Amino acid sequence: MTQRVPPAREVPTRLRTAVTRRVDRTKQRAHDYRSRTEDGAIAMHGIVIVSVLLTFLLFLAGSRWTVLPVLSFLGTMGVGWTRYQAEAAKALTFLTTVATVSILTLIVAFLLLESIPAVRAMGVGLFTRVRNPAMETPTLGQGLWGRGGVWSLTPMMLGTAITTLIATLIAAPVGVAGAVFVSEIAPGRVREVVKPGIELMAGIPSITYGFIGLTIVNQYFYAEFGTPTIGTYFAAGLMIGIMALPTVVTVAEDALNAVPEEIKSGALAMGSTRWQTTKSVTIPAGLSGVSAGVLLGVGRAMGETMAATVMLTHTKGFPSPVFDVFSRYGETLTTVIAFEGGNARDIHMSALFAAGVVLFVMVMLLSVTSQYVEWRMHQKLGGER
Amino acid sequence: MSNVERNRLAGADSTVGDLVSTGILGVAVLTFLASWVLLLQWADETATVAGLSVLKLLGVGLVVVGGGLAGLGVGSRLDYVDTAPSSTAGVTVGVVFGLLWAIVGGLAATLVLGNDAALWLPVAALVGIGGFLVSVVPREDVGSTLPVAGILLLLGGFVAVGGINAGWTWSPAWSSAEFPGSELVPILVVFGTLLGAWSAGKAKAGFGAEGRQTGAYYLVGSVVFGMLGVLALLLAFIVTNGLETMLTGASLTGGRLAVPFVGVQLPWIEFPFLLNQTGGLYVEVPGVLPAVVGTLWLVFGAITFAVPLGIGAAVFLTEYAERGRFTQVVEIATNGLWSTPSIVFGLFGLAFLVPRISGGNSIVVGQLVLGFMLLPLVLITSREAILAVPDAHRDASAALGVTKWQTIRSVVLPAAMPGTITGVILGVGRIAGETAPLLLVFGGAPYPSNFPNVLGSFQLSAQPPFVTNEALLSPASALPYQLYSTITAGVFPKEIFSNTEFGWGTALVLLLVVVGLYAVGVGSRLYFRRKLHE
Repeated sequence: MTQRVPPAREVPTRLRTAVTRRVDRTKQRAHDYRSRTEDGAIAMHGIVIVSVLLTFLLFLAGSRWTVLPVLSFLGTMGVGWTRYQAEAAKALTFLTTVATVSILTLIVAFLLLESIPAVRAMGVGLFTRVRNPAMETPTLGQGLWGRGGVWSLTPMMLGTAITTLIATLIAAPVGVAGAVFVSEIAPGRVREVVKPGIELMAGIPSITYGFIGLTIVNQYFYAEFGTPTIGTYFAAGLMIGIMALPTVVTVAEDALNAVPEEIKSGALAMGSTRWQTTKSVTIPAGLSGVSAGVLLGVGRAMGETMAATVMLTHTKGFPSPVFDVFSRYGETLTTVIAFEGGNARDIHMSALFAAGVVLFVMVMLLSVTSQYVEWRMHQKLGGER
Repeated sequence: MSNVERNRLAGADSTVGDLVSTGILGVAVLTFLASWVLLLQWADETATVAGLSVLKLLGVGLVVVGGGLAGLGVGSRLDYVDTAPSSTAGVTVGVVFGLLWAIVGGLAATLVLGNDAALWLPVAALVGIGGFLVSVVPREDVGSTLPVAGILLLLGGFVAVGGINAGWTWSPAWSSAEFPGSELVPILVVFGTLLGAWSAGKAKAGFGAEGRQTGAYYLVGSVVFGMLGVLALLLAFIVTNGLETMLTGASLTGGRLAVPFVGVQLPWIEFPFLLNQTGGLYVEVPGVLPAVVGTLWLVFGAITFAVPLGIGAAVFLTEYAERGRFTQVVEIATNGLWSTPSIVFGLFGLAFLVPRISGGNSIVVGQLVLGFMLLPLVLITSREAILAVPDAHRDASAALGVTKWQTIRSVVLPAAMPGTITGVILGVGRIAGETAPLLLVFGGAPYPSNFPNVLGSFQLSAQPPFVTNEALLSPASALPYQLYSTITAGVFPKEIFSNTEFGWGTALVLLLVVVGLYAVGVGSRLYFRRKLHE
């Protein structure tokens, strides 16, 4: 960041040249498009874009006339497809791309929009308040959800942190060991069985894990360890950890596989054993990919809903001490949405949307970090696959 | 060549060490499995074998492993056993053993001196440092066996003489739960045997680089074995618990198939759990038909929405767009959609789609929301498939003088089809089991008595929007949603099943559907990959 700051007087001129260059380029493009495309195709593009925009706007307004621009879009496309198929196809693929981006934009916009009332009512306290001043004797972590107009997400944030931590402690070491096994140790036959098996494990629906957790794991901890309630953070975290395992194994294994064979052969040719090669060459070279896998697994664990919803007690509060994972409390950001979303109104609903925003931001941070880490790895390995 | 000979000679000489370490490994594996049997409640903790309680037997197993390891280490140091150890076991091993010894020291100190951090902390630190030094300073054969042997002998001995028995409980102040000896001992023994197997693996291959490889392989192998064991257990639980419910009243020839126009009835498969309604007055064996039909409609709608969008966007990104700011934005958005938690999609559907389409839970909103979730996967996989089509194909087609779109349509898309189809199947497997968004935007009555009649509910009208479908706009059930509502709704309305039994049956059907889809997806990917590499 040692870029020289241009003198103030130069800025307007530079800006102007940049703008003119941009305008010129756009003009050139428009001219190219005009001269290369037939008039009918241009008309088709115009009508299609206008009808799509109208469709979106009318739908947003909740109008029942939405069907008209849809029909106009379909009609234009139908006529265009027969006469200018290439142009129609290009416009269609472009629109699908825009739609993909706009879905994410809409998700972000609506989450933020719907959470505004809660933020306005609670301010930053929505994410930080740990005592309820409306109570006679404000105790730590009690009555933070809906009592006296106070809505605070802190118990759920703590719950998500606890379950995610437990899940990560299980999924990360076992998952990385699994990746090393599949990619470096297992002979071909074993590998052909183990790898699809692990992928299959990723396919088991989360509600099924939750059902097993509820009927078997929860009961086991209740009967054998005398937990105060059927359902604890530890049992849920354990189950979520098992669920996040396949993600970690698959991504980390891909990363280890992406380490170029020449590097490994070089180490082997130096007389090192296969384990020495794995430990000192393959894992360090693939480390960023492996950590990307772990991060993705953490993201999965954080966003996991059903198993936790079914298994936890939905009692909100802070365990004391914080690391008492067998306490009677049990509520995370995801479970509160799933459990109460069906019949919440007004500010309660808005607070749930705020929980969604927190969740979304955390998972998105993890996702972007893991993408960055993976990108770095491909840079380092010279982009070879 | 000389190297090979020397190795073989060394191997021939070290039969004693080899035998002992194989024996130790055997005992460790048996003890490991036995502790799992106890943990999974397949055997009672108070049972006795040959006059010893099972827990004590586990302790004896640990003592044998520990004693054997100590013997091997010392024997190797005194050259009774021929090995090729390095000069030190390494810092990593030292840190691991040091930490373990610190825990042992800390526990012992709390037992003897009481729970005061000022007292037990220094003891733990001292013992930990001692463990570290014993592992690092001597030659590898001693350093990597004696510290483990010590821990195993201590723990195993304590258990074997009855220091911890099944009735003993540890209830620390920081935890709401208490830890009974009947569970604590197997858990500790599992970790102990893993440690023992690691060291015994090293000793088996005569320490040194070879030994470390063998030890690490044993450790990693047993962890992965455990992971696959968990998978097998999960599947086995669902199958054994759900099979009886699913097969209630089912027979190969009990049903009747009426042949139309002829008036003859033929014996046919009878499968009430799959083909009956869930609720309703006259249903003898409640089934999951409404949920199955609901899931089919959901998957169908999601595919019709997401597949064209995903493939279209993939074509635009790979064939038309120049790599730049725009494609980067799309990539970030796709990955963002892919990692967005499913419940957030549900919230979005609730805020954006529900008020504008149906005003309440409905099939069509469920289809759209699941379509949103399927979209990134279709986009990513079909994009990869299109990128994998060699440029030579495109050039050859272009050389024939056809337009770009004709090339895409007749060359690129057919070549990319297998990869795309595989991706779609895997994605469908994922969304078919998805529950969280359905809770917010889709689900209806917990025990539906009829399935959505989508095809028969289309109605034309002169008012916009001209075509309406009441069934699409009303809530329904789907397999994962059915499982959830069975769990949360109180008592099952019929006497024939309990809630849990019906849940296991539903879980098995759901698992069969999803795992079947996954198996087809993974299988077709393997098939196409092999075909590509031929």
